[in-house]
Amino acid sequence: MTRQRYGLVLLSVVLLLASPGDRAGAKGLAERVIEHKLANGLTVLMVERHQTPVVSINLTFKVGGMNEYTGITGVAHLYEHMAFKGTRALGTKDYERERPLLEELARINETIEELRGSSRNASTTESSEIKELRRAFEETQKKAAVLVVGNEMSLLYQRQGAVGLNASTSKDVTRYTVSLPANRLPLWAAIESDRMANPVLREFFKERAVVLKERRLRTEDSPNGLLYETFAAAAFQAHPYGFPTIGWASDIQRLTPSITREFFQTHYGPSNAVVAIVGDFNPPEVVKLIEGSFGAIPATAPPPPVVTVEPAQRGERRVQVEFDAEPVVLIGYHKPPIGHPDDFVCDVLDSVLSEGITSRLYRRLVLEKRLAASVYTTSGYPGVLAPNLFVVGTTPLAPHTTRELEQAVYEELDRLKTEPVGVEELEKVLNNLDASLVRSLRSNSGLASQLAYFQTVAGDWRYLLEARDRIAAVTPADIQRVASKYLIKSNRTVATLVRNAPGPRASADKPRSVMP
Amino acid sequence: MNRGPIPATRLSALAIGLLLILAPTSQSAAVSPEVHPAENTQTDPRTMRFEPVEFTPPEPERVVLENGMVVYLLEDHELPLVTITATIQTGAWLDPPEKIALAGLTGHVMRTGGTDRMAATEVDEELERLAALVTVGLGVESGFAMLDVLKKDLDRGLMIFSDILRTPAFDPARVELAKLQAIEGIRRRHDRPQSIARREFTKLLYGSTHPFARESSVKSVSRITREDLLDFHKRTFHPNGVILGVTGDFDSASMLDKLRKVFGGWAKGTVPAIEIPPVAASVSPDETGEKKIVRFIGKGTTQTYLRMGHLSLKEDDPDYPALSLLNDILGGSSFRSRLFQDLRTKHGLAYSVGSALVAGTRARGAWLAAASTNVNSTQEAISRIVENVERLREQAVTDVELQEAKEAFVNSFVFSFTSPSRIVSRLIGLEYDGLPKDFLQQFRDKVVKLTKEDLLRVARKHLHPERLKILVVGPGQALVPILSAFGAVEEIELPPEG
Repeated sequence: MTRQRYGLVLLSVVLLLASPGDRAGAKGLAERVIEHKLANGLTVLMVERHQTPVVSINLTFKVGGMNEYTGITGVAHLYEHMAFKGTRALGTKDYERERPLLEELARINETIEELRGSSRNASTTESSEIKELRRAFEETQKKAAVLVVGNEMSLLYQRQGAVGLNASTSKDVTRYTVSLPANRLPLWAAIESDRMANPVLREFFKERAVVLKERRLRTEDSPNGLLYETFAAAAFQAHPYGFPTIGWASDIQRLTPSITREFFQTHYGPSNAVVAIVGDFNPPEVVKLIEGSFGAIPATAPPPPVVTVEPAQRGERRVQVEFDAEPVVLIGYHKPPIGHPDDFVCDVLDSVLSEGITSRLYRRLVLEKRLAASVYTTSGYPGVLAPNLFVVGTTPLAPHTTRELEQAVYEELDRLKTEPVGVEELEKVLNNLDASLVRSLRSNSGLASQLAYFQTVAGDWRYLLEARDRIAAVTPADIQRVASKYLIKSNRTVATLVRNAPGPRASADKPRSVMP
Repeated sequence: MNRGPIPATRLSALAIGLLLILAPTSQSAAVSPEVHPAENTQTDPRTMRFEPVEFTPPEPERVVLENGMVVYLLEDHELPLVTITATIQTGAWLDPPEKIALAGLTGHVMRTGGTDRMAATEVDEELERLAALVTVGLGVESGFAMLDVLKKDLDRGLMIFSDILRTPAFDPARVELAKLQAIEGIRRRHDRPQSIARREFTKLLYGSTHPFARESSVKSVSRITREDLLDFHKRTFHPNGVILGVTGDFDSASMLDKLRKVFGGWAKGTVPAIEIPPVAASVSPDETGEKKIVRFIGKGTTQTYLRMGHLSLKEDDPDYPALSLLNDILGGSSFRSRLFQDLRTKHGLAYSVGSALVAGTRARGAWLAAASTNVNSTQEAISRIVENVERLREQAVTDVELQEAKEAFVNSFVFSFTSPSRIVSRLIGLEYDGLPKDFLQQFRDKVVKLTKEDLLRVARKHLHPERLKILVVGPGQALVPILSAFGAVEEIELPPEG
């Protein structure tokens, strides 16, 4: 599945609030959300929209890369992949015959890892014992494969007309989405309650190999992917926000079914989940349906909190990534998490700096100075639950350099500290926020996504409405104060993408000049 | 329109796009043999049966203004928003060979360059103050513009939108900036392996001078002047070449009055005929069965990014529904497809794998498969894709596969009508492409009737493993021995400037 960078979309999500004069969006939404909580802690949010006989469902768990530690990074994302492999009932021809084979595979794998661990320094070639175990592993894997009904869960969904079947893992949340013809909700309830209760980690080792390839595609072969990974790792020295969500390659390679199962058992309980359903349905019937399916899942203990706190940064950090690509620069400043008063001010800063052609950074860097081809900002990378980064990303317009761009960015940021932002600028921010909320109500899946997201990370979907009022209350003095507090040199991390080696841009073996 | 043969990165999205066909107001018995009322007593997902959803999408109104402008209107009063789209008969097919990017730049600067009554900065400021969205973009076979505005700001938004379409000012500074940004885009073209593979593969299929494949260069952009943009706009934007789509919170009669007020005085002109040249036979030696050539582009990546495929049919081909369903089974339907099952699920060879059929509207379309995999599994990945294609020509698909593909198609049909704007834009697309209004309905009816034998026949007629063009982006030195298993290996050298 895809691994979304919530940091990059979050602001647009946060900026999706109420409407101005008429405030139709906010009012409409406040009146239309129906809430229900099951005894086991599962939260259900429902909005009826009867225009078309379809329904969108977003199931969000409060778990992600943030809940990992070194050695098991990537397990949240790998579990998300494994969640599509089925249950005791689905994805198998005969689970009772399959189970001992899966246990055997896990055992052989652990023995191989132990042997490799103990002989790692001794020899580079594998012992005959390991070779024998590998043969046994292959044999067992073949036997297990015969019992698999590949991708059955997805197939059942698609056959019943599902679209948008997907899942994503971020630092803060893991999400499972699907849209169905409206009368197929019982199919969703049956499948999802089954996988919340009885997932089976079949085809584990093959999927682990797929994830390693996903990592190559998204990170190692992607200039931006690798730059962001390096950037976050430099900015966060202690907190798990510094790990890549997809995981470090060496960690992924060593993930096992038992690590993955334990992670599931800790974090996938019903009280750690929110379901948002938007579309053409009857809420009392759906409540009955969900009570009858998810209601039987036992409550679980709340997961352990993340205890690590990122220490205050005490000086600028600069990192580079060499790549066969044109330059990019990212500048990040530590800032507080969602709900903190200064976080709302950062939302306004984000908009003032880079929303639209008339925003400060676009106007100065692109239109006036012609230093940059593009510039954006985002408040809330790589997550929002813990203290995170305010990020400025920009690409130079050749022949200008990232150094020149940085200087121009710093000048604009400094201006925020010394000159009060104009009233019209703040009005524009609010108008766009309000319009975005109205627009967000157009799509079932978009609305379901927002409701489930804010219920999960802010503890209440009404954050959507509250944030609008908090943002409306931000003053020019607030902006000056927050800019002066966070957007300073000692608090920043700068990551630059630079071309590796002058030369082989196109051909691996025939170096030649790069610039026109 | 968007169904044009642009083998893009979003393989599955493209393939799905082909399957968005018209409303099932009644369901064929052949597709749902056992239909029982949905009851919550059903608990096993494998045996659940549901009634087809009954839905008759609203019918938009179609009006032709005196100057030939076509207007589709569909009211929707749920939210206080109005959306107006314009589909314009102009596009990059008109770019002179020495000034490729002319159409693209014209669209870009129409939006950013001001109008006869407002300076560029005034347009920007007013639109952003109103939180109104305006976009203009010219593609290869059509142009598209959109206004999305709160109902209360409709009059101001519509005035600016119509001015942008009719009397754009092309502010010289904005023209200059757009050119610089276009050149920077060219310089960054080779940054991502997927994007290299996509663009170079399209050139292999169509030849590098065909409108579907040709690319701008620093030279072609540099040659383009503000006068060129003014002239391109003047020559190709005419009301009788525009189809408007209006959806949202308005009253149709008063909306038509408003539209007549802003567009009524726009005089008819000579709309350029859409001329997409046929694909030159000389660019396709592989199709004539000559010596097999496998091509690669060297890039220091950790994986290889491969594409393979050949030219395919047009939308009006009677085999289109059958080939579309066949591609769905092969690689167009993600989880359900054979390529996904084989390469990803069973063998763990690739994260991203699939195939797409992009039927052409005015020239031949393309069928292609794509995957990314480790360097040392590249040979296996290519072989498996080829084997899967061969198997479709040798054996009929199974009853279950056919049934699943049909059910997925029919049951998801309703999603083609989830909003008034989708309904209207579909009808506009069909009109623009000269296809019948009930094209999708017909397509669906044909899909429902397809048999295994139909799919076998179209596989043999339209899938040609021996004619596959293969392109791989990856570490060059390592690839040569791997690829030589499939033919003579040739390197494509990319121009250093992008």
